[in-house]
Amino acid sequence: MTVRLPDALPATPSTTTGRAASPLPRRVLTALAAVSILGAAGCAGAEAEPPAPDSQAETSTEASAGADAPASGATTEAGAGGAGAAGQSYEDGTYTETGSYQSPAGPEEVGVTITLEADVVTAVEVEPMPDNPTTTMYQERFAGGISDAIVGRKLDDLAVDKVAGSSLTSGGFNEATDKIKSDARL
Amino acid sequence: MTDSFGFQAIGTRWRVDTGAALPPGQRATLLRLAEEYDALYSRFRADSGVTALAMAGGFLPLPRHGAALGRLLRTLHDVTGGGVSPLVGERLAALGYDAGYSFVPTAAPAPSRAWEGLLDWTDDGVTLDAPALLDVGAAGKGQLVDLMLEYLVSQGHEDVIVDASGDMRRAGTGTITVALEHPYDPTSAIGTVRLGSGALCASAANRRVWGDGLHHVLDARTGRCVDTVVATWVLASDTMTADGLCTALFVADPADLAAVFDFDYVLVYSDGRARSSAALQGALFP
Repeated sequence: MTVRLPDALPATPSTTTGRAASPLPRRVLTALAAVSILGAAGCAGAEAEPPAPDSQAETSTEASAGADAPASGATTEAGAGGAGAAGQSYEDGTYTETGSYQSPAGPEEVGVTITLEADVVTAVEVEPMPDNPTTTMYQERFAGGISDAIVGRKLDDLAVDKVAGSSLTSGGFNEATDKIKSDARL
Repeated sequence: MTDSFGFQAIGTRWRVDTGAALPPGQRATLLRLAEEYDALYSRFRADSGVTALAMAGGFLPLPRHGAALGRLLRTLHDVTGGGVSPLVGERLAALGYDAGYSFVPTAAPAPSRAWEGLLDWTDDGVTLDAPALLDVGAAGKGQLVDLMLEYLVSQGHEDVIVDASGDMRRAGTGTITVALEHPYDPTSAIGTVRLGSGALCASAANRRVWGDGLHHVLDARTGRCVDTVVATWVLASDTMTADGLCTALFVADPADLAAVFDFDYVLVYSDGRARSSAALQGALFP
């Protein structure tokens, strides 16, 4: 699937790699949001008819409305054709930037790599770079490798030689909490 | 198993099973190993080596096995970016898991003090430049399991299990089946593993719990209780390593640990999902 590039990206990407302090990351993230919106719309209509350029342009405009891109002169019709090198707004290539966002656990970073061909985003890769274990957990879950919820079976129904857990692991602790319970009893 | 010996040591219940008879002298030696270990490292006794360090700092000479423990703790410290540290002891105590089991927090969570400049763990002992309460709970119980098993093997036992309430090591032919206790229901298991010759350890954050979400597994970098992982199990060749990795899995990515250690694992997140190494993916009940 290819998606037309939203118009908010800068006409000349300033870097090809790195964690530049330019405003690009935020725009890349905005573009990513637009890509997902367009992607969903495109898939829905993919079998029946080619997506209408107008509706794509509208979505792009909406998606970029919140960005601080200058956007003048690069809007509306700019990328409608996209294939012609002469009218191409963006240099082909692969662009990587780092964006940051505020998660419930604090600020997090995410790396985004976008491949552009003739003003069309042909590939998007997102590399999470979390510091926070909660975020790591959720991001891993997106990436797979996590099983569904654990399923318990009664030990009485199992033929096992040993049990490995922690219900018995600290006699001193358990004695102390039992003592507290008994002290606290009325 | 032919013989079985149960006893209390270092605050937990132990059970040793042997295929050959376990004579009284060997039983006495097992108890002596536990007592010596406890006298060195228990932060719950007023007369221990660790308590002396907490009072005055200085040098605590350690027997030969102290070097292996120090190396493991240092490696775990480094590979977890400081998430595992013996200096977490005073933070545990400050949160109420103290020698008197007060369970009354006396300070807000705070990062453990840095290893560098304070703690020097060499092959012959531990030196503290200032008083600090150490906690070797991350791997100490596991090392005592190893010391007992290695002693029994040295006495000619070929079929032995030393089980310290779920942290265990086995030597012998064949395998046994061990249930992985459900972290939220001690009457259930979430899966089973086969243990041949080697160690299996378990750690869970939701048993030793007190107060408002406080439990005994802290991230030394923040001093806060870890609340995303609730239970871990590790299979490794020795119990000290397996025990230490059980703790490390609460604060580090398994992939980072796998770059340094050879082990298999299962861990359960607080929402009830599980993650495991490839070899143990069939261990969990579907």
